[in-house]
Amino acid sequence: MLLWLILILLGLSFIIYFFQVLALRKKLSEEIPNSFTQPISIIKPLKGLDDNLFDNIESFCKQDYPEYEVILSLENRNDPAYRVAEKIRNKYPDRVTIVIDNSSKALNPKVKNMMKAYRISKYDYFLISDSNVCVEDDYLRKTVSSMTEDVGLVTNLIVGVGGKSFGAVLENLQLNSFIILSVCLLDKFLKMPCSIGKSMLMRKKDFEEIGGFNAVQDVLAEDYLIGKLMHEKGKKVVLSNYMIKNINEYWSIKRFFNRHTRWAKIRWKIGGVKYFTEPLANPVFIASLIPFFYAFSNLSLILLLLSVLIKTTGDYLVMRMIKEKPGIQIMFSPIKDLMSGIIWFVPFITSKVNWRGNLYLISENTVLMPVTDSSLKRTYLKLKTIFSH
Amino acid sequence: MLLCDFHIHTKYSDGSLELKKVVDLFGQAGFDVIAITDHVVNGDSLIGKLAYKFRFTITEKNFNEYLENIEYEAQRAWNKYEMLVIPGVEISKNYLSSDKSAHILILDIKNFIPACGSYESIFLEAKKQNALVVACHPHHMKGEIRNTLYLWKNKQKYGKYIDAWEIANRDDVFNVVSLKKYPYIANSDFHKARHLYSWKTLLNCEKDKETIKTCIKHNKGVAITLFRR
Repeated sequence: MLLWLILILLGLSFIIYFFQVLALRKKLSEEIPNSFTQPISIIKPLKGLDDNLFDNIESFCKQDYPEYEVILSLENRNDPAYRVAEKIRNKYPDRVTIVIDNSSKALNPKVKNMMKAYRISKYDYFLISDSNVCVEDDYLRKTVSSMTEDVGLVTNLIVGVGGKSFGAVLENLQLNSFIILSVCLLDKFLKMPCSIGKSMLMRKKDFEEIGGFNAVQDVLAEDYLIGKLMHEKGKKVVLSNYMIKNINEYWSIKRFFNRHTRWAKIRWKIGGVKYFTEPLANPVFIASLIPFFYAFSNLSLILLLLSVLIKTTGDYLVMRMIKEKPGIQIMFSPIKDLMSGIIWFVPFITSKVNWRGNLYLISENTVLMPVTDSSLKRTYLKLKTIFSH
Repeated sequence: MLLCDFHIHTKYSDGSLELKKVVDLFGQAGFDVIAITDHVVNGDSLIGKLAYKFRFTITEKNFNEYLENIEYEAQRAWNKYEMLVIPGVEISKNYLSSDKSAHILILDIKNFIPACGSYESIFLEAKKQNALVVACHPHHMKGEIRNTLYLWKNKQKYGKYIDAWEIANRDDVFNVVSLKKYPYIANSDFHKARHLYSWKTLLNCEKDKETIKTCIKHNKGVAITLFRR
């Protein structure tokens, strides 16, 4: 009975995977003939050193676009990213402004970081862009071309590139299969607004009407909430098919786990019961349940290997579609799928998230609460210090 | 203050990254000055012979190519990141005994210096080339079976030739250097990408090779910092 149930789920998960790939294909074939070129303020919140940081920021200063500014915002001058920001400003003094501000009381560190930058930004349209993305010089022109009167938010697809360590390879495989496919499925077939914080273009008027940064300052998934509020206001949330590169070069496995457990917790807190359907997008994990429950019989191993083969070939084709060279790294795709299957359980165990050095507890809709050490932990640390002396 | 790292290895010896990638890694992280210091190993010991066998050393044969490539990368790094790249080597005298072993950074090297010569001859040759001499990891390091203690144990004899001592190397701090009030710098002893996050030197001087050397020698306006992501 259980075997049949797993087999049905496995079949269903391959059907979902097929629709995901179809959604990506449809998304990539979209054409947007608009020639909208309003001046834009790009706000880049910086915290710590991302891989390839200099090139990431510089790529935004070399846009083939008539009028725009780049504002680099940091919490303090001691941040290692400040030196990089300074070098970029020296190289592009007319284009780049650095803002240092730590006065906001927002709990979301990214929102906190951007508040002053938003206040001093010059133009009516602004674009929030994360520090770990790198773009081609037509990015702004193509992204802005999706902005029309009825659109409130334009966001972009992301692809992971540059993996030079095992953790980074896993990260890029996850972005280039599970994340990109899920986002396209939600956008194309389920018609759900998808907003990705790595690149969000908005009109200031619309943003302020939904409450601006004050409305999202104490949630972890500020990007999701902005998209949701725009959608509720009757404005379209557009997922541009222009792909931005998320540079992940030297990640540890721990960092991969940290990011994806955080994202899983976000999805759990946002999606609620819908989160239980998520494993259906992971056929390899479902197939691995067969040998788990039915020992390593020939049949169970054949089913697992067949699933791995189909999924890996599918991921290879997806990589080709998004113009990424998969290489030998594609062989790690099943390992990544098994790991993300395990990660799926983590939100049921803990609601703590670690984001760029800040520890939080998240509740429904990813509302943040700062974590203080429990008295038990404090006592343990005290005793540890005493005995270590 | 200039953010500097004067102890970096590439694939020219036992580093895990190509020279170009190393330069980009430091450039992308906003560094102002770095020195490429691949090993020149002594061939007169068993450990040294192994280093030659596995090509973990710069030799007289490939030294010019090494310098030319550093010069090329230095130009690129300056144009792109405004980062100064100084050519150097780490003379590595390796023996089974820690007390006999020593590693010496020669910064701004111009001609090949073999590692099998006497310490005095190495120092004098470095001085002749107007290079900077730094005693690296001069004391006990945590988790190391083989240390390089020779220069510290013979500091009275050789101290006059040494322009600065490594007060910190990657994660180790040598408080003995501070107690002796010797001129100091701190470096990563970079071999892998993760070594980027380690002890570094901050210099309060102009971004110019000669000024930097003078600043280290006089040890005024020098600070160290633990560089973190």
